[in-house]
Amino acid sequence: MGAVRDYFGNIASALTTTAKGMSVTLHHFRNEPPITVQYPFERMNIPDRYRGLHILEQDKCIDCHLCAKACPVDCIEIEAIHHGRTLEWKKFTIDYKKCIFCEFCIPPCPVDCIHMTTEYELATDNVDDMTEDLLSWTGLRPEDQFAIEASEAKKAGKAAPTKAATAAPEGGGDDDDKAAKIAAIKARMAKKS
Amino acid sequence: METLIGVFEQQLGLEGVWALSAAYSVCIGSLLGFITVYAMFAIWMERKVAAHMQVRMGPMETGAWHGWAQSIADAVKLLFKEDIIPSQSNKVMFWIAPAVVFCGVFAGFIVIPFALGLQIADLNLGIFFLISIASIEVIGVIMAGWASNSKYSLFGAIREAAQVVSYEIPTATALLVPILVVGSFRLDDFNLWQEANGWLIFHSPWMMLAGLVFFISSLAGCKRAPFDLPEAESELVSGFHTEYSGMRFSFFFLEEYASMFVASAVMATLWFGGWTIPFVDMSTWTDPDSFGLSDVAVTSIGIVVLLAKTFFFIFVQMWLRWTLPRLRVDQVMTLGYKYLVPWGFVALVMTAIFKYYGWGWFPN
Ligand code: SF4
Ligand code: SF4
Repeated sequence: MGAVRDYFGNIASALTTTAKGMSVTLHHFRNEPPITVQYPFERMNIPDRYRGLHILEQDKCIDCHLCAKACPVDCIEIEAIHHGRTLEWKKFTIDYKKCIFCEFCIPPCPVDCIHMTTEYELATDNVDDMTEDLLSWTGLRPEDQFAIEASEAKKAGKAAPTKAATAAPEGGGDDDDKAAKIAAIKARMAKKS
Repeated sequence: METLIGVFEQQLGLEGVWALSAAYSVCIGSLLGFITVYAMFAIWMERKVAAHMQVRMGPMETGAWHGWAQSIADAVKLLFKEDIIPSQSNKVMFWIAPAVVFCGVFAGFIVIPFALGLQIADLNLGIFFLISIASIEVIGVIMAGWASNSKYSLFGAIREAAQVVSYEIPTATALLVPILVVGSFRLDDFNLWQEANGWLIFHSPWMMLAGLVFFISSLAGCKRAPFDLPEAESELVSGFHTEYSGMRFSFFFLEEYASMFVASAVMATLWFGGWTIPFVDMSTWTDPDSFGLSDVAVTSIGIVVLLAKTFFFIFVQMWLRWTLPRLRVDQVMTLGYKYLVPWGFVALVMTAIFKYYGWGWFPN
């Protein structure tokens, strides 16, 4: 009788399992709101500790290169000129083609000025855009600029130039877009902490 | 159809052949329009149903409201795509296969009664015509698979042939059960009978069994999941239409959704009363002392009732598709020959006995 029992057992299990499966899908269809979001217009909540793109608190950074040394893939490049205690920034870039978002660059920083944000959008049609510049300005305020130029002029034995003539434009050559973006990220970081 | 010929003859003064061809053009044109619009809607509906069953959203962007224009956009895209014909293919067969596939299903539409008298051909062997014309589709599929000269296409076509040939037996057997009770092959007779007596599905448990057998085997006939072996994306790329692109590809799509409609409409007509509402005589609604509706209004109500029932079954087909995994080839054959065929015959014989002794849940 085993075969007969198998036969009717098959029918019974086919019907019950189909009914069960259909009730599950119907439940999803009727009672569960979609868990996906309309991505470019809305986003998922990113956990606070998500390891996304970096930001740099440039005025705190002391150009010690510890972050660059800690980086396992050597993707941080730093370049600055020291005018006494004032730093004139040339370069602070992270090459996101190499970066593995390991967060090893964060803890070594002695002044705690490099952080990771929750930004994750790196898609671009230009490979050069994958290298992010973390600097938002040269690091020199107008008065620093003035002081440096005055001291250099003194070294060269010339008269100090007037302040008005050398007042460098702020912004350090960065486009407003990026500055605004970094300001927004900083504001968000400030709110979070 | 006859009415339309009459209209053309009397109102427009057309003669014999001209009236006939004018009437045919109107019928075919409106049917093609209906199928296209329906298929677009059904594809959109399928995507939405699938999405919500998987707790997603589906198309949301095209058209302002829930992506309603997505299918239109897709159709336009397919129309403008390059029509690629593989160089090693059998050109003629490759070329006509989509047309053959579509014609088989399209012909099925002409016997479906959408409302009282709204039927292109009122054949008194309607169901017979339907099951025989539906087999033409498989010829087109085999042509497509063979002509593509691709192993995936050929495998898909062979599976389709095996599947359709096997499942035609339970389909036909299950269709015989309501025919036995009503005693006619004419589709409109089922509507009228059920208007008077109630839905056939509640006639006896054997009628329910027959309905189930028909539904399952019509799923296989439409190549719907869990019987979508001919297309089996995970195994055969896209099955028999792997090599097709552009407009020709969209014909296979159109065919799939059109055959879903035919199967669901037959299910609705034979077991669930078609365009009628049980125990409501819609033809009296035109009387001034009941509702005083115009003929057009009553016909539209009939269409709406049929479409509602049909779309319910289309929804169930979609629901099953997103519930069940695809069967294996041997499982398909086992299900067909060891389960559906015997139970189809059991339903047939038992209904015959019920009919002879006059048993059942309502008088017959
Ligand atoms: S996250 Fe890791 S890989 Fe990226 S810059 Fe920091 S240390 Fe280098
Ligand atoms: S470790 Fe900190 S302070 Fe040192 S260079 Fe990197 S970011 Fe600047």
